[in-house]
Amino acid sequence: MSTHEHILSCRGLTKDFVLHTIDGRRVEALRGVDLDILPGEHVALAGSSGAGKSSLLKCIYRTYEPTSGSVVLRLRSGAEVDLPSLSDQEMAHLRGRDIGYVSQFLRAEPRRGPLDIVTRAGVSRGMDRATARDAAAVSLKRLNIEEKLWDVHASVLSGGEKQRINLAAGTISSPQLLLLDEPVSALDPANREAALELIGDLTSQGVAVLAVFHDIEAMERLASRIVLMRNGRVEMSGNPDLVLEVLTQGARV
Amino acid sequence: MSTPLLQQVIDRSAPIDDASPADLDVNFGLLDEYSKREIRRAILTAVAVPGYQVPFGSREMPVARGWGSGGLQISLAVVGPDDVVKVIDQGDDEGVNAVNLRRLIVSSTGIPESTTPEDSTLIQTRHRIPEDPLDERHTLILQVPVPEPLRGVERDMRELARMHAEADYARMWVSLYEDKVRNGVITRTTGYPCLVHGRYVIATTPIPRWDVPRLHQSRFLSLFGAGREKRIYAVPPHTDVEPLTFEDVPFEVEITPGAQCRSCGSSESFLVEVPATAAEGGGHWVCSDSDWCRRNRQRQHPSNGVEP
Amino acid sequence: MNNDWALKVASLGKIHGITDLRALEDTGPDIGTAKSALTGSIVAAWDVGFEVAPGEALGVIGESGSGKSTVMRCIAGDQSSTAGEVYLRSVDNGRTNVLDLDPSSRRRLRVADLAVVYQDPAEGLRLNVTAGGNIAEALTAAGWRHFGRIRDRAAELLERTEVPLSRMDDLVGTFSGGMRQRVQLAKALANEPPVVLLDEPTTGLDASVAAGVLDLIRNLLEETGVAAVVVSHDFAVIEMLTTRCVVMNHGRIVEAGLTDRLLEDPHHPYSQRLVGAARA
Repeated sequence: MSTHEHILSCRGLTKDFVLHTIDGRRVEALRGVDLDILPGEHVALAGSSGAGKSSLLKCIYRTYEPTSGSVVLRLRSGAEVDLPSLSDQEMAHLRGRDIGYVSQFLRAEPRRGPLDIVTRAGVSRGMDRATARDAAAVSLKRLNIEEKLWDVHASVLSGGEKQRINLAAGTISSPQLLLLDEPVSALDPANREAALELIGDLTSQGVAVLAVFHDIEAMERLASRIVLMRNGRVEMSGNPDLVLEVLTQGARV
Repeated sequence: MSTPLLQQVIDRSAPIDDASPADLDVNFGLLDEYSKREIRRAILTAVAVPGYQVPFGSREMPVARGWGSGGLQISLAVVGPDDVVKVIDQGDDEGVNAVNLRRLIVSSTGIPESTTPEDSTLIQTRHRIPEDPLDERHTLILQVPVPEPLRGVERDMRELARMHAEADYARMWVSLYEDKVRNGVITRTTGYPCLVHGRYVIATTPIPRWDVPRLHQSRFLSLFGAGREKRIYAVPPHTDVEPLTFEDVPFEVEITPGAQCRSCGSSESFLVEVPATAAEGGGHWVCSDSDWCRRNRQRQHPSNGVEP
Repeated sequence: MNNDWALKVASLGKIHGITDLRALEDTGPDIGTAKSALTGSIVAAWDVGFEVAPGEALGVIGESGSGKSTVMRCIAGDQSSTAGEVYLRSVDNGRTNVLDLDPSSRRRLRVADLAVVYQDPAEGLRLNVTAGGNIAEALTAAGWRHFGRIRDRAAELLERTEVPLSRMDDLVGTFSGGMRQRVQLAKALANEPPVVLLDEPTTGLDASVAAGVLDLIRNLLEETGVAAVVVSHDFAVIEMLTTRCVVMNHGRIVEAGLTDRLLEDPHHPYSQRLVGAARA
């Protein structure tokens, strides 16, 4: 199905929600998405809200269960697996190691300090504790999380700090494919800059990135390709300049 | 256990049609033959499963329950015409209860009595083991008020039965742990819990710790009878009896440094403290085993008879 | 990839009342009741199955009466089951259905193969015994006989569960609810069992205390590599502790999946209602 270079290859991916609480209403979030990503490629998803950008990320990560279609991921080992057909346990095992996901919000964590959270993320992905701790420190420093906050319970930190901790945890080890869902939405310009730089470095290390940003500037800066989505489908895919031009024209219309 | 001993119990289990010597006006050993047989069967089970509490149909006896009725039933069930009986109460042959029990056994069997272990075969006791070494000739019969060693940690009979059945003694260990934590030492003095033959935990009647090591790999048979609680258990000869204690908390017997018996001067027997009285002044120590003390004095002063 | 389970449950069922399998036909989520009109029996749980790997935590979520605690008690041996199989990797390398063991062998599993943390600490602890003594019970059951080492181990466990050592020799009955739960965790982990069942471990505690206990459980699960089953009606607990879970309703599993998927994309009508209620 996919050619051998691809890290990720989606074919005919659909997602329907059946809302039993509202008389079984059917909502179509994805209506057949085809998408390929190469190693080291940074693909930004663009489109208005409700176009299916987040749904696509979640269907790949299996936070949503795809209704039909295939999502083939090439693992570190070179093997290719169709993510929707994996068992829950197998999928849980791949998460973090071969496929990473950074959401807009820090997920439910015990009351731990930033350093602990990021270190544990590394350990859970197979790093030894000392290495993970060093990497966590570097990453937190890079994202301007002050050292005096490293052992403060993350729950009391600001939204922007939490978001950066989340990014640090999600990027501590390099997965084959990293899914980013508005990872810098709550950051002020200076911290946003540091976060974007970190994401840019990942791409140059060969990590394939599929990202959703709320602003065009981030896309312009990081994306090697932009995929425009509309109504649960890929409308257009190509060179950032080209797609952004269409996008901004669309906005002007 | 030695074969002759088992044989002895088995022989006695055989029906005896007319056991009474002509000069007794009661059946030999007071109990009817069917009662004796039932008690002997319980004893056989107890010997075969060392430390296991065998239920038996405890009879009404001419002594109140709680006054040695369990020990008495065992004595009367196993006594034969060739036996010589010794009965002690806390080491004393002359205690009122000991005297009464001895009289009852003697008058209902016609057998001789003695105070000296050397001359005795059947020794019924409340809360002591004689100081003299006992051997294959002796059967020690202990009166037991509370046969259940786990009574302090559990009251539910079914749960107790389960704990024994599964050798689940963790809670007994917890009680020893708690004792040591609270008091710095294990304070349990009498009736110290022991593991018999690596299987059942027993209450060693309330004998003092001093006597406990003498149950271990003993040459004599020990039978424990609880009349009120209707239980018989046994420690056969040459059986392991290990006091429950932690590896790093050695089991220790009662010793008061410097204490000596006021009568015989012994510091090598189990001594009990006699409280101070207005007439005699300060308290003092005497041997618990009165017959041993008497003979010890005789050995030292052969000319002197018995002191007042 | 992950055939390596520590606990495997298959077709587990519990019927209260007469065991007449016709009761299965008029009970369950589709009928909307666990009580059979036909036989009068209650199908507390039926056809329940899952596997849990070492280091993995599986959630069992549902409302009261959904059968989740019944499942836990049947696995633990606190309740007899009507049908099914339960395997532990530590017992005969997972080849023996522990439900077939005699009651005595079954109870012995609770020493070192399978630990339970109950909602009510009084069920897992003796309140009239000290914190250290409660742990000593688990250790002596496993053959520990050295007082000093028992003390050291108890202290280590209490430290790990964040119970001040100054309280080690206090009766558990004098402890607060949260502290009792920490002692219960310490006791459960005493013999390093490969499988731990947690039944509503934070329900009934004040919110701030519950959060602390939850943090502790999460840390312990991560650090010990134990296989855990977490029974709870509370999605926050399930979300914090587990990666996969099953949803129970009227005695049956109606849905199973990755925990984040169940929360964000629940399929079964009952799951959707449950998640909707939690989110409201």
